Amino acid sequence: MNALRLSGLLILLVLMLFIGSLLIGPAALDPIAGMKGLFAGGEEAAIIIMREVRLPRALLGLIVGFSLGIAGAALQGFLRNPLAEPGLIGVSATASLGAVAIFYSGLAGSSMLALPAGALAGALVAVLIILAIAAGNTTTLTLILAGVALSSLSGALTSLALNLSPNPFASYEIIFWLLGSMKDRSMVHVWLSLPLMAAGWALILASSRALDALTFGEATAASLGTNLPRARLSIVCGVALAVGAGTAVTGAIGFIGLVVPHLIRPLTDRMPSSLLMPSGLGGAALLLAADIAARIVVPSRELNVGVLTALIGAPFFLWLVARTRREAI
Amino acid sequence: MVRAVDRCGFGPRRRPARFAALLFTLLAAPAAAESTLPRVMSLNVCTDQLVLALAEPGQILSLSALADDPDLSFHSAIAAAYPKNRGLAEEVFLARPDIVVTGTYSLHNTTQLLRHIGTRVETFDYAQTLESVPGAVRRMGAILGREARAETIAEAYEAELAALSSPPAADAAAAIIYEQNGVVLGSGTLADSVLKAAGFRNLAAERGYEGMVPYPLELLVRDRPDLVLLASPFPGAPSLADQLVEHPAIASLKSLRRKGIAPRGSWSCAGPFTLEAVRALKALREEMAAGGEG
Repeated sequence: MNALRLSGLLILLVLMLFIGSLLIGPAALDPIAGMKGLFAGGEEAAIIIMREVRLPRALLGLIVGFSLGIAGAALQGFLRNPLAEPGLIGVSATASLGAVAIFYSGLAGSSMLALPAGALAGALVAVLIILAIAAGNTTTLTLILAGVALSSLSGALTSLALNLSPNPFASYEIIFWLLGSMKDRSMVHVWLSLPLMAAGWALILASSRALDALTFGEATAASLGTNLPRARLSIVCGVALAVGAGTAVTGAIGFIGLVVPHLIRPLTDRMPSSLLMPSGLGGAALLLAADIAARIVVPSRELNVGVLTALIGAPFFLWLVARTRREAI
Repeated sequence: MVRAVDRCGFGPRRRPARFAALLFTLLAAPAAAESTLPRVMSLNVCTDQLVLALAEPGQILSLSALADDPDLSFHSAIAAAYPKNRGLAEEVFLARPDIVVTGTYSLHNTTQLLRHIGTRVETFDYAQTLESVPGAVRRMGAILGREARAETIAEAYEAELAALSSPPAADAAAAIIYEQNGVVLGSGTLADSVLKAAGFRNLAAERGYEGMVPYPLELLVRDRPDLVLLASPFPGAPSLADQLVEHPAIASLKSLRRKGIAPRGSWSCAGPFTLEAVRALKALREEMAAGGEG
């Protein structure tokens, strides 16, 4: 499919889901009153519901989904591995751990800034560990295994930290940090995370040429004049910023970065660079759709959106593993 | 504020009780009467309150570890003098009380085990309202052999509740108790009966919410209750659950928002002291009515 046409269609899809997300909620506002509340004003309750409850939720679906999609596409290209996704190199889990460690310890009072500060610190630690392991031209397999180990350790430490908190509600929040949610977030969360995510997107998009060169292998890419250490740094930092900032406000949401690039790839010329933007848009569409489903599947009880993305993503992951094995044989 | 009741506390510290018992035996003349009273061990923070209100000090072998928590235990200051247990069957076995009192739903397995080994266990229902207090007081009085004291307390309570109670009119101010994680206290809860006795309509109950259940933030905004009672955050250790009450959507509501209106621990368990919560809420309603009309 023509690249421009693909992007156009994806933007249309994202726009429809974004509006859909704004129109769905337990308060059952009629669409006209809702849109009037959002843009023009009118009744107080409609204004507050639209601007303070539904808009931040839809915006977070958009930007966090975009981050996960673009990060997944970048990692699959960079690691030349169809099973790669942001959770894989340990960024999501370590970002959760960082946010949990700084926020729940009360070191930063109850300031909201503790969340992105902790998550970025966690993501940065993950990046530094991964870079240290990957130093000296290790294979991509080593990188993936290191990420898996880091994810397991961080998940365990996150649960431990929440169990040790004297606040009796903290242990119930394990599910939020491991299987994210966008319930009852506010514009504060959007402003906390958006600038950091945007910086991450820019870093990833800036290394799209290096990603294309890497499809021929690291040695060939180097001989083509690609600055590999720089590309590696910029992609890993870009992923850390985009995924870390998102995790700080929604918890760890899995599998979007895995599924979306695979769905989009057949529609492109299969070059990693032309997959980045469409995967971002596809990620936004998938997360917005999953978040709508999380609200309407069981009407009286909201689900965690991470549960739904895992329900879609985990079988897909198994199918990919089976297919990869068949192709290897 | 309602919190998990299985939090760990300290192990048994028996010395103060023995000392207190000794002191009591030495000082109080009718020592013979005291020795006939059954010695009690309470495993639940709500039965702790009744025991503290009714028992002779010498009767109390130990209380639950939560009895020291001022947010859950109204009598935490008096409770400080007694040893605490963690609700373990082993502790009961070592202390050998005549009676164990506990809640119906708390530590169910322990209750079964204790009955199996022949300990007398009396359980008190967790579903409490203002109306259930006199019955619980009289029953605990009978268990502890303190019927006369129980009767005095129960009668005083009934008279005071009747004098204080002002059921809400159809157009009375609507209130909602919005706790951590957006959980509200609907019909059938102690807080619901307290709100009604204080003359408020309980919005969550009117919308058909029963017990402690999550209430969507959007509905809170749409229904705009006159009064939103918010949970005070847990001191020193933040949680996302505590942050929800700071959500901008709640802050931009025109409703009156209040934290910590009822005295600490006064409505986490039902007891004669729960009238303090009724009194505080009634004063607030009268203040609101005066402000609204003035």
